Amino acid sequence: MTRFLAFILTLVMPLTASAGDLSVTVAVVPLAPPGVMAHAAYFNLTNDGAETRRLIGVRAEGYAMAHLHRSEEMADVATMTAVDAIDIAPGQSIVFKPGGLHVMLMHPAAMQAEGDTVLLTLKFANGETLPVQVPVTRLRHGS
Amino acid sequence: MRRLALIFSLIAAPLWAQVQGVELDDPVALPDFHLENDRGETFDRDTLTGHWTLVMFGFLSCPDVCPFTLGNLEAAVTETSMRVRPDNVPQVVFVSVDPARDAETVSDYARYFHPDFKGFTGARDQIDTLIQATDSFYRLMKPDASGYYEVQHSASVSVIAPDGTLRAKLQPPFDPGATAEFLARLQIAYRRSLNQ
Repeated sequence: MTRFLAFILTLVMPLTASAGDLSVTVAVVPLAPPGVMAHAAYFNLTNDGAETRRLIGVRAEGYAMAHLHRSEEMADVATMTAVDAIDIAPGQSIVFKPGGLHVMLMHPAAMQAEGDTVLLTLKFANGETLPVQVPVTRLRHGS
Repeated sequence: MRRLALIFSLIAAPLWAQVQGVELDDPVALPDFHLENDRGETFDRDTLTGHWTLVMFGFLSCPDVCPFTLGNLEAAVTETSMRVRPDNVPQVVFVSVDPARDAETVSDYARYFHPDFKGFTGARDQIDTLIQATDSFYRLMKPDASGYYEVQHSASVSVIAPDGTLRAKLQPPFDPGATAEFLARLQIAYRRSLNQ
């Protein structure tokens, strides 16, 4: 029943969230393969305000930890580094996408199914928070 | 001159974006190795012969790069199947370099991306043998306070021909169409080399 309600919610809620001048669009948690301790969330974060905003962290409901991370490939080696803060200039959009910036979701309490949502709370340097309901979706790859 | 450079960059940029793989100058014979999985299957030098194989190294708790690469390989193999004979469609093998955490679920993980994908891991020295033979790399990082550790690993994918030799490396971003085109051309070159 909860899952059904969540599904209905994803239908009626636009897949965006905003708080003041900050907005999140195209948020997605790709459905995780079995057996993983960590997976990822992606989105676009836009600052429509007049001042630079600083993203300093993220919380994810149902996970022991969530970190801002960046994947990089240097000399054919895939590495990940934690990101302490990301500045978003006025008018700028920061893109979280596979192979780059992502939210690392660690130690899930339970595995999600397609249609579930993950509540992310983005934390900013000025103390503001931005809650985002992110749908769990099976990603389709293609050219 | 600047205009010429601009024109050149416009021509070169799409071409550069199409580079999805590098063919080795000389094929590399692989040594004996032995990997296994939770379904009782084995992956060794003998299982490489008679078909094309794509080998990717990674670890299951890799949140970003590994699922993205396997998803792209699934799409690339589907695209390849439209270009080559059914028996030339590559077998995709995911090798976990993190057996301590992944041995129980490595085959489920691989099959999540495609029912025909296979996942293996094994003893450290056997993993290292295959890593070295394919000129690949990995490193287990220091655990954090919770005991969780990350793994650095090669981003590229090894392409092994039906004669069991390493022939090429696929490189990110693994665009499915361009990767399929690279694999189809590699197979033509391989057949030509056998007929010489």
